[in-house]
Amino acid sequence: MKLGLACDGGPPPSQVLDLLERAGLQAGALRGVPGPALLDADDATWLLAPGADVLEACARGALDAGVAGKDLLLELAPQLHELLDLRVCRDVLVYATPEPAVGVLRRARTRVATRYPQVTRRHFAATGRQVDLVAFDAALLAPGLGIADGVVELRSRLTLDDGSTGAGAAVGLRVREDIAACSARLVAGRAARALGGGRLAELLERLRASVEEI
Amino acid sequence: MIPEGMRDVLPPESGQLRAIETALCRRFEAYGYGEVRTPWLEYAETLEAVEDDTLEAGYRLRDQQGHELMARTDMTVPVARLAAARFHDRPLPLRFFYVAPSIRPWAPQRSQDGEFVQAGAELLGLHTAAADAESVILLCDCLAALGLRDFRVALGTVAFYTALVDSLGLDDDREKFLEALADRDYPLLESIAGNAGVDQDALKVLWRTLELSGTRDGLSQVRKMASSDAMDDAIRRLVEVRDLVEDAGFEDALSLDFGLYQDLTYYSGVIFEAYAAGVGLPIASGGRYDGLLERFGWGIPGVGFAVALDRLHEALEEAGAVPSAAPACIAFAGGLDEPARAMELRRAGWAVAALPDDAPAPPRPRLHRSGGSYVFEPADGETVSGSWRDVLRALGIA
Repeated sequence: MKLGLACDGGPPPSQVLDLLERAGLQAGALRGVPGPALLDADDATWLLAPGADVLEACARGALDAGVAGKDLLLELAPQLHELLDLRVCRDVLVYATPEPAVGVLRRARTRVATRYPQVTRRHFAATGRQVDLVAFDAALLAPGLGIADGVVELRSRLTLDDGSTGAGAAVGLRVREDIAACSARLVAGRAARALGGGRLAELLERLRASVEEI
Repeated sequence: MIPEGMRDVLPPESGQLRAIETALCRRFEAYGYGEVRTPWLEYAETLEAVEDDTLEAGYRLRDQQGHELMARTDMTVPVARLAAARFHDRPLPLRFFYVAPSIRPWAPQRSQDGEFVQAGAELLGLHTAAADAESVILLCDCLAALGLRDFRVALGTVAFYTALVDSLGLDDDREKFLEALADRDYPLLESIAGNAGVDQDALKVLWRTLELSGTRDGLSQVRKMASSDAMDDAIRRLVEVRDLVEDAGFEDALSLDFGLYQDLTYYSGVIFEAYAAGVGLPIASGGRYDGLLERFGWGIPGVGFAVALDRLHEALEEAGAVPSAAPACIAFAGGLDEPARAMELRRAGWAVAALPDDAPAPPRPRLHRSGGSYVFEPADGETVSGSWRDVLRALGIA
């Protein structure tokens, strides 16, 4: 039986594809595919979809394994096995605030904008601080809009594509705290190991070898 | 409105679930297990006696005397409580089964209902591999009896892991490590081991073991890596159980999984989980819990499992093997006014829903009066119109 695999993508990160190819998978066909898509390669069926979908598909036993970011695993805490740190797409979830400080608002409770409400809630609760959460996908723009005092976001996403920090580039965001180191992870649903026979173990072995080559 | 995580069950699903329950009960009884029913409220201290976070996190309330009560979060613990309190002077072994709901606070990220019904069987008083094997065989037999093909039972052992983890010398991080093991969070395992300065060779053994699935080859490799008597014993036990289950004819369903670990604290030896295509979570799980009854004052061993009924139902849906609940019911317009005739059909084995004369036409199969005669419209096939006798003949009764 063919492997069923998934990759956070649209398109999937090339570092992940390089790694998959080194492990002997025909991942080249995925390069530049915008997704969402279901692709049929010789050795595997691939789902290219947003990370949360990758996790859901694996948890529901539709696939043998998937590749998704640690940031999403922390946020969604799915019932999955996290089998391998692929050590690519490395990033850090951070708490950042504007520098220089914006606005004259002095809120009694700090407002934090983020796409990671669970991670944020846990982080501040664990350090004994109470904050108001602002669910905001483009978190880095929230301080400039005046709706948040800080953001929790991946370090690499604190700047816009043109290198500016958004909000008219007048405001920079300065990292105050690291919350968690993130990278691409290989995950599998609980059923995959029992139902897939040796396929998953073999894939894991090959990927582990490729990761350790780097 | 009902609380989140709870659900109402409607026909035809309710009937299908009952048919599944009945089939499971028949298998349990065929092995000599007797049904027990326990209250859904227990003293909180009963469930707390096990010292397991999941089981302690139940809904709590107080009775009028101020005792703290808990809606049960598990069925194995109440059965252990009951056995220790009521059966301690009986000859062993004891065999109990149950079909009952438990309730755990619903969490949106867990794709499990807050209330879940389990059908389980507990074998108490035997410490042997043969008892482990009976439990696994009974589970396989249940699933096979329901017409589920291609299910798979993963068989592992907690004893092997506790011994392996003990050999790593983790001290303070032991609990965290075992938790990560249960979640199979390998990167976290690696980092805990790294921080605790675990020996690289020992860690390699762990990785190899985790990754080896149940091939004969894998088994011999794990044997070679075993570095203590406790590990040797655990492997030998697992192999013994596997051989017995294979003898019973379930070799295709079985796979050894040395990476299997469950975080319910009461498991002490062999553990197992059943999986079926299309359902991401185990449809059944179980294992040996030798320390459990001790907590209720009777130090006898035990082994058992529970089937998650909702998940089993899903698996049967995927496999196209859902047992049909009731025979097709004939809607009998006017039947309320003719109870004797309706009864005649029921006595012959038909289900009949009697309706008023002027009821709007129900779905087929249906029967109604028309002037002095009857019209019977079967679910498929030709309409029969004539005397009552004609109707009986059409139904194969007269």
